[in-house]
Amino acid sequence: MENLYNLDHLNMSEEELFSMADRDELASERITAPRYSYWQSVFRVFFKKRINIIALALLAVMLVFVYVYPMAIGYDAEVDPYINLSDSTAKHLSPAEAIEKFGFSLKWILGAGAAGESTFDAVWYGSSISVTLALVCALINMTIGVVIGAIWGFSKKIDVFMTEVYNIIANVPYILLISVIVLIMSASFWSMVFALTVTGWIGIAYFIRTQVIIIRDREYNLASRCLGTPITRIAMKNILPFMTSVIVTLAATEIPSYISYEVFLSYIGMGLKDMSLGKLIEAAQSAMVTPGWGFEFWSPVAVASIIAVVLYLVGQNLGDASDPRTHM
Amino acid sequence: MTKYLINRILRGLLSIVIVVGVVMVLIYTALDKQSIFANDPTFTKMKSNRKQVYMMQEWERYGYLDYVPYGDYLLELVKSGEITQAEYDVYVKIGNKATGETPEAEKFVQKFTEYYESKGYTVEPLKADTMKGTQKYKDGGEPRLYAYKNVPILSRLWNYLTGLVKIDNIHTVEEDVGERGLTFTLYDPVYGGEKFSPAIIGNGTLHKYLVYCDDNFPYVHQNLATINLGLSYSVNQGKDVFETMTAAQGSFVKSTVTYPTGLVEETANDLHSATYAADSLSKSDLNQQYFVDDYTNITTNKDGMSKMGYSFVIGILSVILAYLLAIPMGIAMALKKDKFIDKLGTFYIIFIMAVPSLGYIFMFKAIGSSIGLPAKFDMQNPTRLMYLLPIVSLALPSIANLMKWLRRYMIDQINSDYVKFARSGGLSEGEIFSKHILKNAIIPIVHGIPASVLGALTGAIITERVYIVPGVGNLLTTAINNYDNGVIVGVTLFYALLSVTSVILGDLLMSVIDPRISFTTKAR
Repeated sequence: MENLYNLDHLNMSEEELFSMADRDELASERITAPRYSYWQSVFRVFFKKRINIIALALLAVMLVFVYVYPMAIGYDAEVDPYINLSDSTAKHLSPAEAIEKFGFSLKWILGAGAAGESTFDAVWYGSSISVTLALVCALINMTIGVVIGAIWGFSKKIDVFMTEVYNIIANVPYILLISVIVLIMSASFWSMVFALTVTGWIGIAYFIRTQVIIIRDREYNLASRCLGTPITRIAMKNILPFMTSVIVTLAATEIPSYISYEVFLSYIGMGLKDMSLGKLIEAAQSAMVTPGWGFEFWSPVAVASIIAVVLYLVGQNLGDASDPRTHM
Repeated sequence: MTKYLINRILRGLLSIVIVVGVVMVLIYTALDKQSIFANDPTFTKMKSNRKQVYMMQEWERYGYLDYVPYGDYLLELVKSGEITQAEYDVYVKIGNKATGETPEAEKFVQKFTEYYESKGYTVEPLKADTMKGTQKYKDGGEPRLYAYKNVPILSRLWNYLTGLVKIDNIHTVEEDVGERGLTFTLYDPVYGGEKFSPAIIGNGTLHKYLVYCDDNFPYVHQNLATINLGLSYSVNQGKDVFETMTAAQGSFVKSTVTYPTGLVEETANDLHSATYAADSLSKSDLNQQYFVDDYTNITTNKDGMSKMGYSFVIGILSVILAYLLAIPMGIAMALKKDKFIDKLGTFYIIFIMAVPSLGYIFMFKAIGSSIGLPAKFDMQNPTRLMYLLPIVSLALPSIANLMKWLRRYMIDQINSDYVKFARSGGLSEGEIFSKHILKNAIIPIVHGIPASVLGALTGAIITERVYIVPGVGNLLTTAINNYDNGVIVGVTLFYALLSVTSVILGDLLMSVIDPRISFTTKAR
């Protein structure tokens, strides 16, 4: 009982000894939880897998080759492919022959092509065009597709109308549309972008619309609407987080598909005039059957495949990581 | 259900009409009509005024415009009795030797011009194109006079759609062919009149044989109704798209045939295909040896399949292969999730999805030919083995796609509450799998079956190019490269028809498999 103090011994007044504490009404409402940041969690999950670090590193190396390398060597598509045109011994060389002829350098490790040009340089310059095309098309299509798809999914009136539009547009053969546009507008880079995006967005919009419809009528959204949340807030806070992973996953499949499409169109003779990957593959097609000339054909095919696989892998895993359900 | 179905079909047809309209607007208004001559050898040979007239004639044939030459106008007048044949011979000579018209001809030229200009036509006189300093015409330089009017796109669309199916009747042929009518015979004269083979033969109809029998599947054939998808300009000149797709290819097959004159010969000619060609009998001594009437236009029997036939055989076998492989694989991946087989399957799916299709088809071709499989479609000595690589190449992407979705659906079902409930109720794993999971997971897969079967009819562009298959897949791309607008429209219509049909059939099939799905009441 010695530990008890008698306050009277302190000789202080009541006011000095006690003061009223503020009562925080909201304190009881607060839930103690670790701080959660969405994008931090996305990257935490993403980098937890070692394969993602490897894929990201590969992507970085690839981007360096695609964009920095042609610029660093000052590649000129008008001049460089024809520097060895008059030298008949420089044409259709396998890597070993090319290195023997020109000395060892990065430039000749894939041999030489039909005009004596370096396959290695040509392939990377070509992929810069193809990758740019794919990225631009994906950006345009994804933006238009997601915005229109979201509106399409939200409004029942627009849904009826857009579904009919979709039924019609989806029936026009894609190759037909692209080739007619290319025929009319000439096969330049931007007419190709136009051809690939003029109806390309509708498939994405349809996909997003289905996703929006699935989430829109969930109970938590009904509850949210009953409590008077405005529709834009529902869209931004309730639905968008769900859609992020879907959109990223979709982008991961879209970008390689444009690379693939460009290659396909060039192969059937409706592609770009520029020296894209598809054009290189088309030009080297006849070389494939000749023994020893295979490198001209397989190099652009392999590069196109590697670029597409890496982009796909990074995108898919980023899509997985951006799904909030994996953040637990 | 019937009401719903009719509604669906009507809406489908409407969307097909709109698609064809859109494509027609695209190619007939946006593309220069001169471009159809890009690959026409006849066109490049022609010169001067004749070239102009040839262009007009071809444009009329392919529906671009309505073209009336001055001579035709005069012939109409002869028919109506306004002028006589002798007068016609005088008036038709305009701008003779560049000296100008006779006053009478001048009058009719004036009448022609006034008449057609009042109807909205453009009248175009082409001056004689003479050699320098002489009165002689250059090659094809005769003076011409004609009127033309562009056909508006809507009436083009209407003409195209109404002309899609033509029913042959005894008034089809305009010329005098004697007594018009149909005869029914039990003993087809082509086989010498002794073999029992019923046929209906027409006179005045476009086809001589309207219904006939032969030894080829489906044994009874008809020419009564023909499908006209559009006339080809350069891909298969003068032939209809549908005929291009369905006509047999390959080398000739001979059989014993009795010609109408009684001549018996071992020949590849197919008398059943005879169609009317005006004045063909009187003008040709060769035809008089064989035929007794003007039904002389015949095709030949060939041993190969049609373009569509090859595409369909390869397509349908690859569809079967894809389902046979992908369904067990998808199931295995879902049941052994995150195990080795799932990882292997996922790798395959990523590979197919990311690598450009051209890449893996060529890779597969290289692998296939290195182990000794035929890498080319050899029409001269066909073997069964040459079908193998195209079939497998075509199946690769569909296997990946089916696997991906089946795995997804299966895993969704496995994690659902009713499966947990079934398990807690004591059902065996096998029972849960076959009666609950698989039954539900397979429904969306079933929806795609009609689309893949009908899709086999359209062929595959890359696969057919790589293996040189004489299929239908490249028809559209060839047509586009050659500016063959008739073929483009025809093929588009065909594609749209298939795609609309396959969606409706898919929905029907789904509602048959799963009785919970009903299209009569609104789901939402």
